[in-house]
Amino acid sequence: MTFISIEFLLFVALLVAMYYVVPHRFRWVLLLAASYLFYATLSIQFIPLLLVSTAFTYVTGILIERQDEKRQKKRLMVMGVFVLVMFLGWFKYFNFVNDSLRAMAGLMGWNYDIPYQDIVLPLAISFYTFQAISYLVDLYRGKLKAERHYGYFSIYFAFFPQLVAGPIERAKKLLPQFKAEQRFDYEHVSYGMKRIAWGFFKKTLIADRLAPMVATVFSRPDPTGSEIVLGTMLFSIQLYADFSACSDIAIGTARLFGIKLTENFRQPHFAVSIADFWNRWHISLSTWLRDYIFIPLCKGKKKRHQIYVAIIITFLISGIWHGAAWSFVLWGLIHGIYRVFGDATKHHREQLASFVRLDRTPELHKWINIATTFQLVSFSRVFFVSDSVAQAFHHARLYVTPSSWAPTGMLHALELFSLLDFVVFLFFFTAVHVFQYIERTKGSAWDWLAGRSTLANVAIQLFVIVSVLVFGVSSEGFIYGGF
Amino acid sequence: MNKIELYKTAFINGLDVVADATFEEMQLGVTKEWDSIGHMTLIAELEDAFDVYIDSEWITEFNTYQSGIDLLKRLGVDFGQ
Repeated sequence: MTFISIEFLLFVALLVAMYYVVPHRFRWVLLLAASYLFYATLSIQFIPLLLVSTAFTYVTGILIERQDEKRQKKRLMVMGVFVLVMFLGWFKYFNFVNDSLRAMAGLMGWNYDIPYQDIVLPLAISFYTFQAISYLVDLYRGKLKAERHYGYFSIYFAFFPQLVAGPIERAKKLLPQFKAEQRFDYEHVSYGMKRIAWGFFKKTLIADRLAPMVATVFSRPDPTGSEIVLGTMLFSIQLYADFSACSDIAIGTARLFGIKLTENFRQPHFAVSIADFWNRWHISLSTWLRDYIFIPLCKGKKKRHQIYVAIIITFLISGIWHGAAWSFVLWGLIHGIYRVFGDATKHHREQLASFVRLDRTPELHKWINIATTFQLVSFSRVFFVSDSVAQAFHHARLYVTPSSWAPTGMLHALELFSLLDFVVFLFFFTAVHVFQYIERTKGSAWDWLAGRSTLANVAIQLFVIVSVLVFGVSSEGFIYGGF
Repeated sequence: MNKIELYKTAFINGLDVVADATFEEMQLGVTKEWDSIGHMTLIAELEDAFDVYIDSEWITEFNTYQSGIDLLKRLGVDFGQ
């Protein structure tokens, strides 16, 4: 049962009806059963791993809290994090490490005979492992108390709206919401349904409509440079639409139960710098990396170049979190270099902007920064979307070749679309941008919408639903669901 | 050196600003030298100068000269001396 299915909508509708009928003291049973059922429909073979990880983190948390000495707490926390990382490492990184060692042994002429293991990646393991790590570290830091109610704790680990692809939540934020008695609130339910519908809109009318074109470009043995440029930029749009749609549906579904999840995106393709981009893209992962990797790495570092090293390490971890392949490591490294280079050249760039008088036209300066940031991000995604490092470098070279950007080549590359597909995509892409424009100018498009007449609300909702039903297409799952 | 002088010295060292800067008007993201990377070097200077541990949650709360003093007071630093 994926998010984009009638079964999911019926499942959620039935659950919401039951949730507000069942007495509060039994609701955790309902949410937990629903979460495990949802996970089982997607990946039943890994239910035991989810259960073991939950039980392990629960017990370790209580043990950490019971220790009197800080040193003992730390030892237990480190042991707990190590075991969780080992779970993740075995399933996600064993073959990556194994293949890398075999390749290195081949180069060095060493004998290396550990065979390839046929290991399937458990669904959502990267997401729930990061939540579990944050729980143990926060306990050690004294930011929260160990949860004693095993039921509520298990829901924190497996809450179905955000289990598969986040947002990555902190126990401190989520557990009190599960425990509070949520009363039926029309505003919550209405908002939740609108967010779900908007997620369906972006997924079926933007992401999944672009997916075949992007797949065509990157599966071709010899794509043209213009096709790579166009395909990569379309992939950027697809990835944002796909992942933000997944977050919209997660946030909307959780809100139906009165639960508020973290916003994961703030129009990242309108970022004015790489630092700004990471404040807007996959926010729950960025803040996780900031709090549990970057800040600890910066402790005691008084020189800028030492902070640069911490930035590079953090982005390398971000890259390897996304996928067990060197192309993801390189993608992370590129973003680390962007961030460091951006900081090191900041004053020179400001001087240049002043010299060419860009500082006198701040709006133009802002849009130049937005376009530059989008191009830098898109270029890095060549490494994200390519199947191998060799292919990624070949595609990256094509991306930066000037002739790849020739208008005639780009027009030719647009033939990836049929005329109808192109018109349909442009229409709905414009609709998403109208929504984003309202967000930028009015603060919140949802609040703006709530202030319109009932007729306008009904018309907009009908437009969204009819568009999805008539023009929506759906492929299997979400890109980030594979991480 | 009193605590306020110690605090200002942390800014001078952490952000590489001049000694006669207008410290009271400094803000994260507004003062040129106080960007997100300078913020981390400033935190390290403050932790070292006052022998405190500044948690990630507080690091994001600390965004002005005055909020830094308030934070250090919460951590037990007495600025009355």
